[in-house]
Amino acid sequence: MKDYIIWTRPCVRLFQEGRDSRMQAQVLSGPMFAAMLRAGAANLAANRKRVNDLNVFPIPDGDTGDNMYMTIDSGAAELASARGDSLGEVAASAAKGMLLGARGNSGVILSRIFAGISHALKDVESADLATVNRALANGVDEAYRAVSVPVEGTILTVYKDAVAYAGARLNETSTADSYCADFLGELRRSLDRTPELLDVLRQAGVVDSGGAGFLCIAEGMQAALHGEAAAPGAAAPDGKAAGPDLSRFTEDSELVFGYCTEFLLRLQRAKVGDPETFDLSRIQDDLNGMGESVVCFRDGSIVKVHVHTKRPGDILNQMQKYGEFLTLKIENMTLQHNGTDAGSAAHSARPRKRYGIVSVASGSGLRQIFLELGCDAVVEGGQSMNPSAEDFVRAFGDINADTILVFPNNGNVILTARQAAELYDRAEIRIIPTKTVGEGYAGISMLDLTPEDPEEVVRGAEEAISGVVTGFVSAANRETTLGGVKVHPGDYIGFAGDVIYVDSPDRTEAAIALAEALKAGDFDILLLLAGREAPQDESFRLQAVLKTAYPRTEVILRRGEQPIHDYILILE
Amino acid sequence: MLKFFTDTDCDVTPELARQLDCQLISMPFSIEGETTWPYRDTDEFDLHAFYDRLRGGVLPNTSALSEQTYLDAFEPHFARGDDILYVHFSRAMTATFDSMDRALAQLRQKYPARRLYEVDTKGITTISYTIFREAADLYRAGKTGGEIEAWAKDAVDRWAMYFFADDLKFFRHSGRVSALAGTMGTVLGIRPIIYMSAEGKMVSVGKEKGRVKAMERLVSTVEALGDAVADHRVVIGHTDCPELARELADKLQERFGGKLDIELRPVNPTAGSHCGPNGVGVCFHAKHR
Repeated sequence: MKDYIIWTRPCVRLFQEGRDSRMQAQVLSGPMFAAMLRAGAANLAANRKRVNDLNVFPIPDGDTGDNMYMTIDSGAAELASARGDSLGEVAASAAKGMLLGARGNSGVILSRIFAGISHALKDVESADLATVNRALANGVDEAYRAVSVPVEGTILTVYKDAVAYAGARLNETSTADSYCADFLGELRRSLDRTPELLDVLRQAGVVDSGGAGFLCIAEGMQAALHGEAAAPGAAAPDGKAAGPDLSRFTEDSELVFGYCTEFLLRLQRAKVGDPETFDLSRIQDDLNGMGESVVCFRDGSIVKVHVHTKRPGDILNQMQKYGEFLTLKIENMTLQHNGTDAGSAAHSARPRKRYGIVSVASGSGLRQIFLELGCDAVVEGGQSMNPSAEDFVRAFGDINADTILVFPNNGNVILTARQAAELYDRAEIRIIPTKTVGEGYAGISMLDLTPEDPEEVVRGAEEAISGVVTGFVSAANRETTLGGVKVHPGDYIGFAGDVIYVDSPDRTEAAIALAEALKAGDFDILLLLAGREAPQDESFRLQAVLKTAYPRTEVILRRGEQPIHDYILILE
Repeated sequence: MLKFFTDTDCDVTPELARQLDCQLISMPFSIEGETTWPYRDTDEFDLHAFYDRLRGGVLPNTSALSEQTYLDAFEPHFARGDDILYVHFSRAMTATFDSMDRALAQLRQKYPARRLYEVDTKGITTISYTIFREAADLYRAGKTGGEIEAWAKDAVDRWAMYFFADDLKFFRHSGRVSALAGTMGTVLGIRPIIYMSAEGKMVSVGKEKGRVKAMERLVSTVEALGDAVADHRVVIGHTDCPELARELADKLQERFGGKLDIELRPVNPTAGSHCGPNGVGVCFHAKHR
């Protein structure tokens, strides 16, 4: 063995060292891995828009880059709470952050890759390349296990191929640099092959977006290995992470919801004695007495707390009796831009009930509809802005019920909901895998919560969603031909599932043609949800036309105010 | 002599009351503080205009009668030496009859020999109308107040009414439907199926998505629960949607081989305040409610 270097110093020192020694290294340390993770996140941040645009559908709803960035960024942020700087500890804290922060299917898979890696590196101080490769291979297994029906031609395939290729080429002369080069080379080749494996990609003329996102991360990690800094300012979140709307709390507003208060507390030996034997229930009891929606767990001497309170100062003073704060975030919940939106009673103490319902929606009207239908919480998100596992965990914490039924309402949210269910243990979580708001509406509106057995309730909901058809009308943002329909940018397309039925320069015409293609006349109900971009008078006219065209179908119009989809047609 | 009384919540109009030799007590509703007493001073009531106001978003309230109203209604007859038979809407839905009981307690002091025979239809609108018509037949056949009261003991429970309406906000506003689950939206096509219970309350027994399925639920309920349906009155009530009522009638006739004697009848505005426009329901002879 030659050039045997153990990196045990933080990345600052690392970047000052000679480039050659790092590249010739054969062992990965915790600080190096941490630096690589941060660089991977930064590189994806710089390229997230490009990844978003790798969208099968010609509408501006691509969010894979955002989802994966927010997922890995949660992992990078969690590095601060690592208990030490061993490789195992760094990997564990990154994985924990990603599991909670996971958004969208690619985000969930990414988090499971890192969870698998971290499991294999448990208690490992630093790892040689063979160990690294075994850990990466464990990430492959964990990621495949996370999805019930793994689809080839996605991030799963790309990552698996890269690990297998780089692993097969490992020998005693391998260095971190050569391993990385092999890994990235095959990653790129496999990514280029994804259209061969997935018809939708070939038809749309794109490579898999999740795989592309992973390549960005891997390239960033390689750059860190080479001592190259990430693109300046790249990590700064843009666009979606808009600030809160301050006008929502005025001089005359009343503090109804209180403050969402989150912090990491480091238990101090001087205050509590041995942090390892400290009884966490002391903190939990304090929090339950002073706030609501308490989520509190520990990792060694670090306690992570989420609590809603009207008097955050009281809680902070009390908590300081146990330790000091590592991070602290307090937000007026009236201003909260994202997160859950529940009824006004949501944050007051409520008796435990048999069932709770969580739905996912974006658009104020849609949220309102789900609350009307009896949802206890509506997690903000959906197409183009997927909620994180932590968003779900928070919503669960707001609900005092034995069994919580979750309606993800989007194919790209189901996996996140499942992940959140695994992370939450204060209620039984049942996921009804609704893929559209239409299915969510059908399932929730016909829910029968009288059976004691959740199995029966879920079965009823699944039956209710079986006959529903959901169609969408959206503006197209690029030219393509899908399924024989030629799409022009700026036109409106009408689609359901993966099938585009119509392209029209006129939004109303697209909706009318879509209704016809979906055989609206065969259904009892057509629920028309007008999106943010659809003017009120236009939607009234559209309703009137549809009523006349389908006299036997009840045409109900509501404003969903959803983004992306100017109209949603739910047929039952 | 036995004087026959009913109230407007039983869907009886002044014209019909006159035909059947019946006195009509008006049950009031109010909109934005203004109280209306349907059919009290006029023969006509513009139901379509009323339900259109509800369609426009108005939520009416109903209110109980005062003790004095009952004194004014009953005393002249007791004073003349007549007894009274009163077929009325459900005691379980209103505080009105507490006022009546207080009035009667006073009148008993004054006219100890006089008697009020009471038939609680344990319902409102269509079912109360149907039972009223049955009682009117007996009254006109010369049955005594005691006989009619005894008849009602069993007969009232042998009439069932099942109905649905478009918009749950009226039921919610009136607060008179029990078991109305939280998982139901307004104006989202979901229709709770409601029936009049043996206790005389509106109770939700489930829900259906869309008018077609809700209508089918009513028809299959008549089939399953009906008892000699073709030998008795069948009354379909509606809140300003005669076309839906006709559709229901056609479906029932289809199922029962065209043998039914069906009457379509609009729902009075006070009862309609509870369920809102575009509701339809059927009252039929049944094994039980």
